[in-house]
Amino acid sequence: MQFHVNPSGELPIYRQIMRQITDAIAGGRVAAGDQLPSHRDLAAQLVIAPLTVKKAYDELEREGLITTQRGRGTYVSESLPVVDAAQRRERLREAAQQLLTQAALSGVPLAEVVRLLKEIQKGMKS
Amino acid sequence: MKALEFENIHRAYRRGADVLKGITFSVDAGEVVGLVGKNGAGKTTLIRIAMGMLEAQTGHVRVLGLDPRTDALDMKRRVGYVSEDQILPEFLTVGAVVRLHRALFPTWDDQLERRLRERFELAPRARIKTLSKGQARQVALLCAIAHRPEVLLLDEPAGGLDPAARREFLETSIQLLNEAGSTILFSSHYMTDVERMAGRIVMIHEGCLLLDGALDDLREQYSLALLPRGPVGWHDRLIGLSGCISVREQSDSLHAVFRLEPQQCRSLLQRELHISDARCLSITLDDMFVELVEGRP
Repeated sequence: MQFHVNPSGELPIYRQIMRQITDAIAGGRVAAGDQLPSHRDLAAQLVIAPLTVKKAYDELEREGLITTQRGRGTYVSESLPVVDAAQRRERLREAAQQLLTQAALSGVPLAEVVRLLKEIQKGMKS
Repeated sequence: MKALEFENIHRAYRRGADVLKGITFSVDAGEVVGLVGKNGAGKTTLIRIAMGMLEAQTGHVRVLGLDPRTDALDMKRRVGYVSEDQILPEFLTVGAVVRLHRALFPTWDDQLERRLRERFELAPRARIKTLSKGQARQVALLCAIAHRPEVLLLDEPAGGLDPAARREFLETSIQLLNEAGSTILFSSHYMTDVERMAGRIVMIHEGCLLLDGALDDLREQYSLALLPRGPVGWHDRLIGLSGCISVREQSDSLHAVFRLEPQQCRSLLQRELHISDARCLSITLDDMFVELVEGRP
């Protein structure tokens, strides 16, 4: 998978890495059991401090999304954890809010937004 | 043991003109600390004191447990140093400068030296005076890290370099971190470089320590509130709120920095000052710098 970070972005760099990995898992771009780059390799690739990548990996491991096997590497977990339903809903609500604001500003009607969502979902599966 | 210790460091260049007014902080082995502050804040003076190039008038400094003035040789063998205005002997060749350094450091790593020389495409026979600023800085960096120092002191190392040379410099430093886990204290005006490299920020202003914290905490546990200027006296009332660390007037608005997450900040303003139209945002390092240095409590 491809990573990219923006140091002056709204989120701290370790959060940006966490988000990209969770997005890739959610979108099916990486599958259970897939190997992730080592934290040192990813740090060199992104030109950021190795401890920053380690922090992102540690947090994701705590959330059960990835597992590190000592001496072997870091992998996407075989069984992904079930996120607390309320928390999941809240996150989704925030994202939906942003999406609808954007749609309103661009004058895109709701039906069009829904069509777009379906189109994107199709893309994620393939 | 701490890799770096500064305790109550004072330094004036002449009587009454204090450059450092009691700086205290320490750095653990393996930490990467970004030292930020305006020009003239005292960053260079502090780094020079750690290098033993200047003496603190009061206070106590230790590098790897050693006194930079009395244990200078032992200390310098374990430390690397690069500064923006470092002067390499102009009439020497790159090869000669490297040889000089190799002879000084028992832990010199020939393989690393060769790798860096190839990476930077440095011709050993080129004279220093014929090099570009970026190439000269690369020679300085090579000499500072080929002995695999335990501590790296970098004073505005990317100053005056173009973006490609800056990136190259960062890549090399990160490689060193990956391989050796060195402790790094570096000063920089490039906040994006600081965000890439540092785990911790030390901000100094007019010779005093203004802020010292983990970078991620600064990004996630502080916020910037933007308010209309409001009636006279708001400035003081904002400063009086718990968690408010600076207020600054900016044309017709007030900017206040809080040690609170944006959501908490919004409810505090609503509860205490009945302000419902404040914009509370997470704060970038650039903004934090400007707000704290330009705004005063």
